[in-house]
Formats: sequence, structure tokens, C-alpha cells
Amino acid sequence: MEYDLAFFTEMLGRTLALWWVLIPSIFLGLVVGAIPGFSAANTIIILLPLTLALEPEIGLTFMVGLYASSRMGAGIPAILVNIPGTAGAAATPLDGYPMTKQGRGQQALSMSFVASITGGLFTTIIALITLPWLSQVAFYLHSVEMIVIMFFGISLIATIAAKDTLKGLIAGFFGLMIGFIGTDVVYETPRGTFGFLELYDKVPLIPALVGLFAISEAFAVIEKQSIVTERGKAAMQEPGWAQTFEGVRIAASKWWHITWNSLIGLVIGVVPGAGAAIASFVAYQQSKTYSKTPELYGTGHVEGLIAPESANNGVTSGTLVPLLVIGIPGGATAAIMLVVLQFHGVTVGPDLFITSPELAFGPFTAMAVTYALMILTVLPLARYMSHITVVSTIYMAPIIISFTLVGSFVPRAYLFDMNLALVFGVIGYVARKTGYHVAAILIGVILGPLMETFFLRAMKMSQGDIMVLFSSSIGNTLWVFLVISLALPYIMNRRNGKREKAAAHDPYG
Amino acid sequence: MKDFDSKLDRRTVLKGGAALAGAAAASSLPFGSAFAAGYPDRNIKVYVPTREGGGADRLLRSVTGVWKNHIGTNFEPSFFPGAAGRVGYEKYMGLAKDDMYEFLFGNMGPEVLNWVVKKPTFDLNDFQYFAQVDSDPGILFVSRRSKFKTVDDIIAEGKKRTLNVGVSRLAHPATLGALALAKHTGAKFNPIPLSGGKNTRAGVATGEMDLGALPSGGIVNRAKTFKVVLMFSHTNPLPGRSDNAPTMNAHFGTNMPSLIAGSRAFGIKKSAIAKHPDRFAKVEETLKKAFADPAFKEAYAKTKSPWEFVGLRSAAQAKEYADNIAKIGAEFKDLLAGKQT
Repeated sequence: MEYDLAFFTEMLGRTLALWWVLIPSIFLGLVVGAIPGFSAANTIIILLPLTLALEPEIGLTFMVGLYASSRMGAGIPAILVNIPGTAGAAATPLDGYPMTKQGRGQQALSMSFVASITGGLFTTIIALITLPWLSQVAFYLHSVEMIVIMFFGISLIATIAAKDTLKGLIAGFFGLMIGFIGTDVVYETPRGTFGFLELYDKVPLIPALVGLFAISEAFAVIEKQSIVTERGKAAMQEPGWAQTFEGVRIAASKWWHITWNSLIGLVIGVVPGAGAAIASFVAYQQSKTYSKTPELYGTGHVEGLIAPESANNGVTSGTLVPLLVIGIPGGATAAIMLVVLQFHGVTVGPDLFITSPELAFGPFTAMAVTYALMILTVLPLARYMSHITVVSTIYMAPIIISFTLVGSFVPRAYLFDMNLALVFGVIGYVARKTGYHVAAILIGVILGPLMETFFLRAMKMSQGDIMVLFSSSIGNTLWVFLVISLALPYIMNRRNGKREKAAAHDPYG
Repeated sequence: MKDFDSKLDRRTVLKGGAALAGAAAASSLPFGSAFAAGYPDRNIKVYVPTREGGGADRLLRSVTGVWKNHIGTNFEPSFFPGAAGRVGYEKYMGLAKDDMYEFLFGNMGPEVLNWVVKKPTFDLNDFQYFAQVDSDPGILFVSRRSKFKTVDDIIAEGKKRTLNVGVSRLAHPATLGALALAKHTGAKFNPIPLSGGKNTRAGVATGEMDLGALPSGGIVNRAKTFKVVLMFSHTNPLPGRSDNAPTMNAHFGTNMPSLIAGSRAFGIKKSAIAKHPDRFAKVEETLKKAFADPAFKEAYAKTKSPWEFVGLRSAAQAKEYADNIAKIGAEFKDLLAGKQT
């Protein structure tokens, strides 16, 4: 069968005809993405009886729509109330929430929507065009290469620590220690579980996420009347679409930033076992390293918001590539999609592109149409959603705590996880009050276990030879890039410092 | 409200006498499903020590989807993954009541091996499997892109260098098969635990692992990507779907017991059986009916897993299998526990 323009036009037409499936799935995805604890994966599991009853093409379109929109939905509470809906949105509040506090919530939301939608749409089209080559990425990025990629994300701790090195590093290492709790991946030996069975399968991410960010934030905001500063409130007094359009304009002007960060997401998404959390932290770190204004990151900087949002949406099309091309799901949601396809007797793999091209290419066209539809359906919501931030904290704080506690219970249905979220809330609150960065702790909690998994695997494969870390040419190239990206900020700082000094001494300046 | 005396008329006495006689007769009957007539009157909870969406989940849904019609109630699966099944078993033994409304659905082979390496906190004598529902043989497999085409290619290369063997976890019957093969042939195998079948398949498909060892079900379904090169069972139940792979005993002249790597089974607290033998009889009887029901084969076919592996085995057969696996596991205990490399 020829895959020419006519074929893809026909595919697009087929997918557009399923608008009645896509629109409800978009709204459902936005809602479940925005609620911590819910995610595309567990929503699809809950809805399995429905998706199994549908025709495979329709069921797949529904799941893809829900997956893509939930990824974007997770950014909404991250920006507005400092609650990342999923681990993939954990880097979003670093700059998104400070923007909200400045009264730019509406603008931040529209920027995030534009970055997510265009990043997702762009990478979907790239994935479609480069499918044969992209599917080969997983053959070259193994444990050793993944360790280096993880270092890009983990080195964010050092970046965060730049303002107060000691406190930043303590917070980062504390997070890593928490991340190592649980049974090890080789010999299944429990470490640091304090005898709690609930910690054998690692520290669950959602309670850690909502505790460190949301509950500690709720404890902190109760001391004030509103999340938004007085200046921010004044800025929000003028209702209208201007802020939305301004956000769209700013995001559009950063098109190059969106492009390369979404490509980072796409490549990381293709690797089985990697995912949106790694992609968003790596993108944030890369964005800051090569930015002309790195000092503005963490203060409500546009680029700091756009980078993780475009990267975590770039991941969505990436995870579909190994699923459809080699039959290996790239992530949890893709794994559930595989269950549904298998139930319908569909065997994924290279043959699928010949035997059922509508099922092989369908998810990509469905994803492209989802992103296109989201421009029309989601962007207008930014104006109304942002008003949640002016609600008084005496109502907001208890609502945040109740919702997030329910959210921490949902993934595993353990009461223990609700208590754990509260413990992390207290840790986060103490950290905020004493000047330790909660984001540094969270990076350790999220990336620590992944890093350990790849590291122990590489060490077991090399039978304990540490030099395995430098045994691959792709890995070594990545090491060089890592060193450059760590050294670059210091080199630039010194150069700028010298220039400023020279300018100060220039009698004609 | 009627007073007490008004009830004591002839009819009442006669009715009461008949009821007493009936109760006496019933108590003299052997335990049977008739006595458990009120059971079950609510849903039955099933503890699953793995994540949802996996092979155990799919198999459980096919079985209970039909079983519910015979036993007369719905099943509620609850998933407790972690630490190679330990979390699920510990939760079950710690939380489940012994009223026959709570079962466990596990994969005997890896979980029994896990206990060989690390004893659970509960007494193993308090627990038993009562019905094994499938028997999926352990296999050695490679990617279709691999330079290895036969098990002999692998052994030849394994004598020159250490080969990385992707496995679901160290304490797994398929891993034992690979280790036993290495021991017998002198090839050097380095088992790399990749935390589950999905990751193991990914490791082999992407070429990070030289080969893999898993239950066959997830591999024969992906015949375009993987090739089965050896079976650890006594016979090859799927010659047509596994490139007619030889068995270890036939090819190497060994005398290994059949290493069934996928062995999903229902388990229960022994105290529940002791307290409610009538209910247990009904459970066994209705499960047999479910397996004989053509609707089950139809539901199972949708999972694309080989029907040849499905078969209901009794508590005694399940125990025999578990004891065998534990015996072989004890031989490789130090290796599985990391005390020896």
C-alpha cells in the first residue's frame, strides 16, 4: 500500500469524522489531567468496559484524545495553584505559578496551551513523517545513554542550588534519598521502608507530588488572604480577552523554543521506560542553559513555562512509536492501549502498517486532530479558569487539601498514601519556611528511582565495571554535551561579568 | 403485636417441629453446595499481587467474567503490586477475612521462588493455592534481528563471552531455566532483571539484551518480533507458533523437571476453608463449571493467549508444582539472592 498524500488526507478525514468521540475525550482528559492522582492511564483502566465495547478504531481514537488532553490538563492546576496534576507537569509550576502570583494566570494558561498544542501537533506530524527512523531511536538509547540523559534532569538541582548552594544540594540529596526508598530492582531487597509494606514499591509519586507542592502551598497560603499578590490582583481587575491574546502572542514569538523542546520530548518519549517527567525536567534544564536570561528562571519566566509544557506534550506522540512499530509500549498509557488492541485481536508491530494501516496511522492522525481541536475548545477557557486564583485562601486552602488528599488515595486506594501526602506537605512547608527549594526535593524523588534503575541495570550488565558508563559512543557524546551544558552558564557568567567590568571602566561608555 | 401465648397453637407447634426436624436432617448431611445456599450474597474480592493491565489481569477477567454467572456474584479485583508479589500476599494475609469472600490470584512460580529467597512475614502453612488455572512453559527467546538463530548459536557464543539474559526478575522459573542451561553447557549467562515481561521484551527487542527468558505466552504472540529458541517444559505445546523450538531435555539430554514459568492460581487462607467447607465446595464446583463453559474459551480467545496453556488443576497439583519450584529454587538460592554472581 502506498502512503501518499491521498492516503493521509483520507486518514485525516476518517479521524475528523470521529469528532463526536474526540470532543468528549478532550474535556474528560482535561478534567482527569487536572485532578492529581487521576491520569490518562488509570482513567482508561476505569473506562475499559467502554473502550473494549467500542470498535478498535473508535476506542483507540478515544484513548488518544484523552491521553493528549490529559497531558495538557495537568498543567492547569500546576500554573494556577501550584499543584502538578501528574509527574510530567512537575516542572511547570517552577515558572507558571510565579506568573499566577503576579496576576498573569490567564496569560500563563494561554501560553501553556499554545506551547502544549503546537508542541504536540508539531511532534505528531514529525513522528508521522519520520516513523521509520524514529522507531530506531530505542535501539540506540539503552541504560547507559539513559543515565546520561537523567543527569541532564538531575543537574537541575545544581541549577536551583545556584542561589544557595548548600541548601539546594541538601534538598536535592534529601529528595534522592527519598527516591531510593523501596525494594531495589535487582535483588528486591527493601531499603528504608521503615517496615511499611506500602513503601516496598517505592515512594508513590502522587502523594509526594501533591504533598510537596500543593499541601505545603495550602499551609503557606492560609497565612495570606489570596494566592495572588496585591499588584497581581490589580492586574486581574481588567477582565477580557486581552490577556489571552497577549499570552498567545508571546508564546507564538517563542516558536523556536517550542520547536526544539517538543523535539526533546519526542525523542525521550520514544524510549520505553522514559517519560514525560524526564522530558520536562531535561527540557527545563536545557532551556535555562541556552537562554539569554537564565537569571529570570523561577521568577515567572515565559521560557521556563513553555519548555516543560512543549516537552511533555512532545512525549505523547513519542510513546506511540515503539508501541505501534515494535509492539513495545513506551509508557503506562500506551501499555493500556495495547491491552485494548489485544482484546480486539489486533497484533501490533511492523505488520500492522500493512494489514491495518488505519489502526497503525490512526493514533497519530487522532492525536493531530485532538491538538487541532484543542485550539478551539481550550484556549477560550483560560480567561475563566484563571479566576479561581482570586478565591480567598480560607476557602481555597481546605479545598486544595481535600482534593489532593483524595487524589493521593486514588492511584493505589491506600489510606497510607493520604497520610504520606500530609507528611510530604509538612516537609514541603518546613522547606519553604527555611529556604530549601521543594522543586529540588521533588526532582530527586521523581528522577532518583529511574536513575537508580538504569544505573543498577548497567552495573549488573557490566558485572560491576563502572567504566560501562563510558562504553558507548552515543553515551560519550551525550556526556560531552552534559559537561558543556553544565559549564556553559559559568563561562557565560564570567564573560558577562568581564564585559560589565570593562564597560564600567570604559571612559567612553 | 401478638403475645407469646397466642403463638403456641397447634399449627405453630407443628410448623416448629417440622422446622426442627428439617434442621436436624440438614445437619446430618455431608457438607455440600446445598448447605451453602446463601453464599455468596455479596461480591467476592480478589487480591492481585501485580499491576492492572498485565497478563494476570487479563486472565483473571476472562475467568471471572464467566465464573460470576455460575457462582452468582461479581468479582472485584484489587491490585497490590510491589516487591515481586510480596506486597499483595502480605496484604492478603494481613487484611483478608476468612469468610470465603476474599481470594488471591497470583503467579505461583515467581512468587514461591521469592519466598525461597526471602521468607514472608506470615506462616506459609496458613495459605494454600486451591486452583491452578494455566501452565505456560518457560522459554529462551531472541529478537528476530539477533544474529543468534538457534540455541546452539547462543551456547557457542556464551562459551566465548558472558551473554546478558533479560529476565522478568531473578527469582523466576524462566531465570532458573536459563541458569540451569548455563550450568549444564558451561555457557556464561548474566541474568538481568528488567521488572516484568513488558520491559524484558523491550530489552530484547531493542538489542540491549542478547536474549531473554520468560513464559512463552507473551512471546509467541509476537512471532514477527521474537523467535523462541528453547523450551524449558518437557514437551513443546505450541510447535507451530514457536518455530518448533526444542525442549531442553530433548536437545541437551538433561533431566530437568518441567519449568512452567506462568502458573496463575487462586489462593486462599486455610482457615477460610476450615471454617466454611460448604462454601469452599461451592467455589470449587462453580469454578469447574466455568472452565467447562464454552463462553470461557470464547472470552479467553479474545486475549490472543494460547488456549493450550489453560487447564484447571486441583489444589494437590498446585501444591506439587509449588514444591517442585521451591526445590529447584533452593539449588540456586545464593545466586538469586545476590550472594553469588
